Amino acid sequence: MRRRLPGFLLAAPAWAWLAIFFVAPVAMVVWFSFGYKPSIFATQATDKLSFDRYAEVFSPTFFATFQNTLWVGIVGTVLCFLIGLPVAYWMAVKAPPSRRGLLVALVMVPFWTNFLVRTIGWQVILSPDGWLSTALQAVGFEPLAILNTRGAVLLGVVYNYLPLMILPLYVAFDRVNGPLREASKDLGAGKWTTFFRITLPLAQPGIIAGVLLVYIPLMGDYITATVLGGAKGNMVGQLVASQFQTAQNWALGSAMAVVLIVVILATVAIGAAIVWFVTLPIRASHRLVIGAPATTPASASIREEVTA
Amino acid sequence: MSVGEAQRQVRRPRKAWSDVAFNVWGILVMVFLFAPIAVIIVSSFNVGRLLVSWDHFGFDSFLALLAKPAIQDAVWISVQTGFIAALVATALGTLAGIAMARHPGKWVWWFMGLLLLVSVTPEIVDAVSLLPWMVFLGQDLGMAVFNDGIVRLVIGHSLFSITVVSYLVRARLVGQEAQLEEASADLYATPTRTFRKVTLPLAMPAVFAGFMLSFTFSLDNTVIAAFVSVSGSTPWPVYVLSALRSGLRPEIAAVSTIMLVLTLIALGLVALVLKRSGDSAADIARTMGGG
Repeated sequence: MRRRLPGFLLAAPAWAWLAIFFVAPVAMVVWFSFGYKPSIFATQATDKLSFDRYAEVFSPTFFATFQNTLWVGIVGTVLCFLIGLPVAYWMAVKAPPSRRGLLVALVMVPFWTNFLVRTIGWQVILSPDGWLSTALQAVGFEPLAILNTRGAVLLGVVYNYLPLMILPLYVAFDRVNGPLREASKDLGAGKWTTFFRITLPLAQPGIIAGVLLVYIPLMGDYITATVLGGAKGNMVGQLVASQFQTAQNWALGSAMAVVLIVVILATVAIGAAIVWFVTLPIRASHRLVIGAPATTPASASIREEVTA
Repeated sequence: MSVGEAQRQVRRPRKAWSDVAFNVWGILVMVFLFAPIAVIIVSSFNVGRLLVSWDHFGFDSFLALLAKPAIQDAVWISVQTGFIAALVATALGTLAGIAMARHPGKWVWWFMGLLLLVSVTPEIVDAVSLLPWMVFLGQDLGMAVFNDGIVRLVIGHSLFSITVVSYLVRARLVGQEAQLEEASADLYATPTRTFRKVTLPLAMPAVFAGFMLSFTFSLDNTVIAAFVSVSGSTPWPVYVLSALRSGLRPEIAAVSTIMLVLTLIALGLVALVLKRSGDSAADIARTMGGG
């Protein structure tokens, strides 16, 4: 073409910025994780490399916290999905089209409110001498004792990450909305059949996006657990943070961060494999319908979306 | 669509129960989403020593802000950082987005991979990586600029925002054909002039949305800020985080209420610009959800 410089150079500043301030720091942390803490005054040294820090990571305390994090991560993601799915469906299909913009805006306001402030809001609500607790006691219940437990962290993360589940699901349902579902109904399929055989499979990209958008940041969560979890609701994010901020053991903290990333990737891979196997029979029975030769542009574009 | 609409109207009486169930569930979840925000707003009008225990209604917490330079400084640092970080992220992201949309090739896959990696890395990992890196650059290599509080915050906050701006700009330009740019070149405009007069205006709604989103991202950022900030330039969320240990006072809620109003104005502007440029509610949802 007519340009003198290759066009991809436009992206060079972003490349450089991300290389210097993302790739290099993360690489340095990976390198630190093979080092050690030489003395109480130094944070790390890398003159002798070993896997000792990784052995240290799997101490009983850390392991318990890890189990806790994994539990909160998986249960929290499942709850977000179960709570968010009907809401997204309601917003995209059931609500009158004129009100959809408003509903999307309503879901976004909490999403854009300061994460920390929202979480503090829950601390105020759940506090044993807050108004909810007072009201419950007036009716004859025990004072609220949920704050500083794993339950409070679970509530907090479900709350904090729910918009990240609802928005992609809404976008996905919105895309499926319309003629295809009408066709399914006209061909005699009931509401449930239409939902499970048409709407849900076609919303798959949105479901995957929602689950990943919730699960990955949730596993690394630091704020929710700090504000609501207390001593009992520890998460890995806090352990990593404390190694860098209070214990000043950067080598061990780095190893924990690396293990956290590996566990997130591994669980996502395992989850994907499980879903693949579980849906194998369903997909096999669907192939006849969706894999049929495309005769119209509409069904061709649908096929594209399914394979995407 | 209109046929479907009519059908739904006709069928409504028969499946009313499920519609009612959906409405109830939807409204319950909305209440759940707004509960803590409402609590914070109400608390900001609390006259009392602590945020948790309600005393009586009044504007004392807002007035008290005037006599708290520490809070004012923290908010000012946050606003400055947000503005600079948004500028940096928008500049880098816009260029990258244009390059991805208009100069496709194998490199786009690698670049998208890097952006994906940046956006899925948990914030805490970014935070603990940037802390030693800043110390390394600032102290070991002696580049004093990296010891500056605002510079550190801007760098930390820009990472995720760059990915969002790049996605947004790319998505906007991919949806529009390059014919206008080709026409401009055929009419003997220099590449720079085409870029300034054609490509940038085409991408403008996405650039603007990206800027506002980056600004609110930065204003919100707590985790990275808590690690890279240096004493003397504590941003607002880090101030709140440290106040958490010493007891939360109603002033915190007052500032949060003010910030919420500002964020709503910013988001309203973004939605307005996107709507003007012809986006549906779903498009806006996709944009604001960060790609």
